[in-house]
Amino acid sequence: MDIRRLEPRDIPLIQHANLENLPENYFMKYYLYHALSWPQLSYVAVDVSRPKKTPYDYPKIVGYVLAKMEEEPTDGVQHGHITSLSVMRTHRRLGIAEKLMRQSQLAMVETFGAQYVSLHVRVSNKAAIHLYTKTLGFDQDKTEASYYADGEDAYSMRLDLSTIRDQIRDAADSEDVDEGEPVGEAGSKTLPVREKDLKKVKVGRGLGVQALVEKDESKHT
Amino acid sequence: MPQPLSSKENSLFRQVIRNYEEKQYKRGLKAAEQILKKNPKHGDTLAMKALIINSLGKTDDAFALAKEALTADMKSHICWHVYGLLYRHQKNFEEAIKAYKFALKLEPGSPQIQRDLAYLQVQMRDFQGYIQSRTAMLQSKSQLRQNWTALAVAHHLAGDLAQAEKVLTTYEESLKSPPSRTDYENSEALMYKNSIIAETGDYQRALDHLESIAKHNLDRLAVLELRAEYLAKLGKKDEAVKAYRALLDRNSEHPEYYNKLADVMGLDGSDTSARKAVYDEYAASNPRCDAAKRLPLDFLTGNDFREAAKLYLTLMLDKGVPSTFANLKHLYTDPFKKETLESLAHDYVKAKESQSGSESPAGELKGTPAGLYYLAQHYNYHLSRDLAKALEFVDKGLELVPENVEFHMTKARIWKHYGNTRKAAEIMDQARNLDLKDRYINTKTAKYQLRNNETAKALKTMSLFTRNDSPGGPLSDLIDMQSIWYLTEDGEASVRNGLIGLALKRFHAVYNIFDVWQEDQFDFHSFSLRKGQIRAYVDMVRWEDKLREHPFYTRAALGAIAAYLGIHDSKLVMNGINGSNGTVDDDAEKKKALKKAKREAQKTEREAAEHAAKQDPNKPKAANSEIVKKDDDPLGLKLASTEQPLVEATKFLLPILQFSPQNIDGQVAGFEVYIRRGKYLLALHCLNAALAIDATNPVVHEQAVRFHQEISSKLASLHAKVAEVIKTEFTAIDASTDLKKYNAEFLAEHKDSPAHVVSAVKIQKLLGEDQKTCEKGLFGVLSLKTDNWEPAAEALGLLLQWRSSEAEAFRKAADETWPEVTLFNPPPAPTSA
Repeated sequence: MDIRRLEPRDIPLIQHANLENLPENYFMKYYLYHALSWPQLSYVAVDVSRPKKTPYDYPKIVGYVLAKMEEEPTDGVQHGHITSLSVMRTHRRLGIAEKLMRQSQLAMVETFGAQYVSLHVRVSNKAAIHLYTKTLGFDQDKTEASYYADGEDAYSMRLDLSTIRDQIRDAADSEDVDEGEPVGEAGSKTLPVREKDLKKVKVGRGLGVQALVEKDESKHT
Repeated sequence: MPQPLSSKENSLFRQVIRNYEEKQYKRGLKAAEQILKKNPKHGDTLAMKALIINSLGKTDDAFALAKEALTADMKSHICWHVYGLLYRHQKNFEEAIKAYKFALKLEPGSPQIQRDLAYLQVQMRDFQGYIQSRTAMLQSKSQLRQNWTALAVAHHLAGDLAQAEKVLTTYEESLKSPPSRTDYENSEALMYKNSIIAETGDYQRALDHLESIAKHNLDRLAVLELRAEYLAKLGKKDEAVKAYRALLDRNSEHPEYYNKLADVMGLDGSDTSARKAVYDEYAASNPRCDAAKRLPLDFLTGNDFREAAKLYLTLMLDKGVPSTFANLKHLYTDPFKKETLESLAHDYVKAKESQSGSESPAGELKGTPAGLYYLAQHYNYHLSRDLAKALEFVDKGLELVPENVEFHMTKARIWKHYGNTRKAAEIMDQARNLDLKDRYINTKTAKYQLRNNETAKALKTMSLFTRNDSPGGPLSDLIDMQSIWYLTEDGEASVRNGLIGLALKRFHAVYNIFDVWQEDQFDFHSFSLRKGQIRAYVDMVRWEDKLREHPFYTRAALGAIAAYLGIHDSKLVMNGINGSNGTVDDDAEKKKALKKAKREAQKTEREAAEHAAKQDPNKPKAANSEIVKKDDDPLGLKLASTEQPLVEATKFLLPILQFSPQNIDGQVAGFEVYIRRGKYLLALHCLNAALAIDATNPVVHEQAVRFHQEISSKLASLHAKVAEVIKTEFTAIDASTDLKKYNAEFLAEHKDSPAHVVSAVKIQKLLGEDQKTCEKGLFGVLSLKTDNWEPAAEALGLLLQWRSSEAEAFRKAADETWPEVTLFNPPPAPTSA
């Protein structure tokens, strides 16, 4: 097994895994939309042990997380969203889903300054609920009635990503003696979003990322 | 020349354009009519009207009208632009590009036409044209960074790395103040430039550049990975070691990092204990890490392997990881590892069984059941196959955990390997019933039903998880969702059921999905630049360039080619050109099957209609809002009645030969198509390619002999140059060879391989051997004592094709040799339905 970032060429087999495992399916363009808008956020688990049948075999996808940033967050807070997560039945109990999620969450903070990540899960899906709440620490936000096409309700969940932000900042501080110097020249080596620096940074162009980050930061301080 | 309008009509014309853009087609049409009433020859209005009626689905009328518009006003850029848009809509990109270019000549400053042209050029990979367009777009709006990046992408895709880099640098140098740290577009543009420098192979410069931009870059992982890669390539070992360690701290489940780390640490293959120590370090620091524990099994040998394997196996089986076997089976190519794992698994089960009271919680696949599960899969695997033993372990496991889905699934797989598709499908369905909410097991059940040729049942199974509210029912959802595996399996099952039209229908559906996938990239030519995501876009473009290399394509295309070859050959039979083929019984069977398929299609339609009728009328569904095109050939009868089956086959063939030339099945299919078309050079090309891939392949032997035979009779009638090339290029069998003798030698050499024997017998028949001898040769396959029953199935097919009186006897004998193979089972007693 290999856990790595999604590449466009993985998409046919991601779509295949999705069609095998889940009732919520998407056409290829929707996967492309994720892969080309937020290439840092989606991860795959690949069965590298599988012997090749032809020279043209593509890496066999046994699990994936398809993630995005919310483009126009209704709460005005920059955050990520899990569009789809699944692991083949034959590859469960290896912690793949958790590992995929953790990689994606890290990138959400690093690259796009996400404050939290949200997702929906079927109210009957005990295994997934256990993963999200017990293993990953998601909070159950609310229930959305008849969210799924077959009429089932969804729990809407979210996970605050400030722990990851703090970890990144600590790591940056420990390797960075220049801490506290003006923005633009020095500052964090690793970190795009540091609370201290944020307020000095001009509102991000076009993407509107920074404005939203700052708004939420002010709530914490 | 724009034809002048009165001011009132001018404002009406502007309204037409607005209506079109806002998709208010009826209103737009009305306004256009109003203008045309007074100015019936107004080109621009005619053109806009054409565009609107095209959007209403009347493409032919639209083209006629657009031509009328052009006749009325040849010098109008609007008329030419519309003409291009209509072609674009028809996906005739070459003609669209021509029309846009005309329009642009008449209106050089139009950003809209320029854009439309540029995106088509890159879609068509006309990179020189794209560079021109992008240069013009940059000149008209040079303050936009994305226009600079776009021109760099154009040069990059055209292969001019230096020019691409230069364009990016020029923009960077024009910046007066450094962009914000959170400016993603900037962060990505810098990384993009770095990837271009790396592509030139100058890693020192790439590293220096990376160091200069790394600090605030938002794509942290890419920075870390590239830095490690450049350091390693430059031989800066100490730094590279650090870099790879940093990556492993981030993600210890990425095997490449371990391999590269070992490389830069100078740990070659010989010192396995030093290598293992590296992995142990990460296993210790990440207790939940799998890779660090499992990967050393790849390089450890002897006792070291046994110890590590024992630890790993015990850990996994205690934990109850169902993929344990899947994660280890690649080691089975090493006989020692295969035997070691087998004995370790046995030891594990024995040890667990002797510990009383250590039973795992009911139903869970932990401990003893996990060990039994491993062993069942071990004996089911082709490198260690003993199906009887595999069944034994499955049954033992089912005694402990009778409701376990995994054991049922494996049991179904074992029956599949026996060739008993009927039992396999039944047991997979039992597994499905144990977990009705899991789509994975549902999918597997449908697949096994298709393998057992139960297409209607399979669709019903699928429908438990598809959206069934569209008029086409579950099938149309599967097509919409691009479920290639289902379409391909359903097509292959239809071939086996003799429903060639239906099979072609499915294979064409797959072909069309690949067309859609190619078309899907179109919107990203503009979208990605707006998003500022460049590297991912370039990756995508390069992947799209060889999209049809995917085995998904090849498999469906091979199915279609075989079906078309069958249609071509049976046409020859009907025209009495060839010997007899296809019996009366056969035809009756096919008619019956077709009737059944028709009934099923009608039933599906009826059910879907009923379902739609039951829908809550307050909840409008997509079906109401879209124009639903009714399929006028649901059974593929039109496809199957083509007059040009070989032309159709070639359409499916070309992408295989272009993108998957190393696929021997593709070359074999290519030979079959080209030899029937009398294209001997192309046939020879395929034959030689196949020989280069695998000279011992039995079918390639058949083709070589057939080619020799065909050529010796045709050579005189061929063009002298063609004949000359064939003489020099066809070296597999010397011109003077006695083919009978050649084939006999082949048979003698491969007498123990059933597939080769079948091929040799086919050639005997072709070379005029009498049927009795050939039949005897085929019976020889039965005495070869092998688990591989497939060549015998082919032999049975040949006997039926020859209308041999021995066919039934052969079937009976095969049934005795392989009693579990459904194909050889006695035909079911006729039912009165």
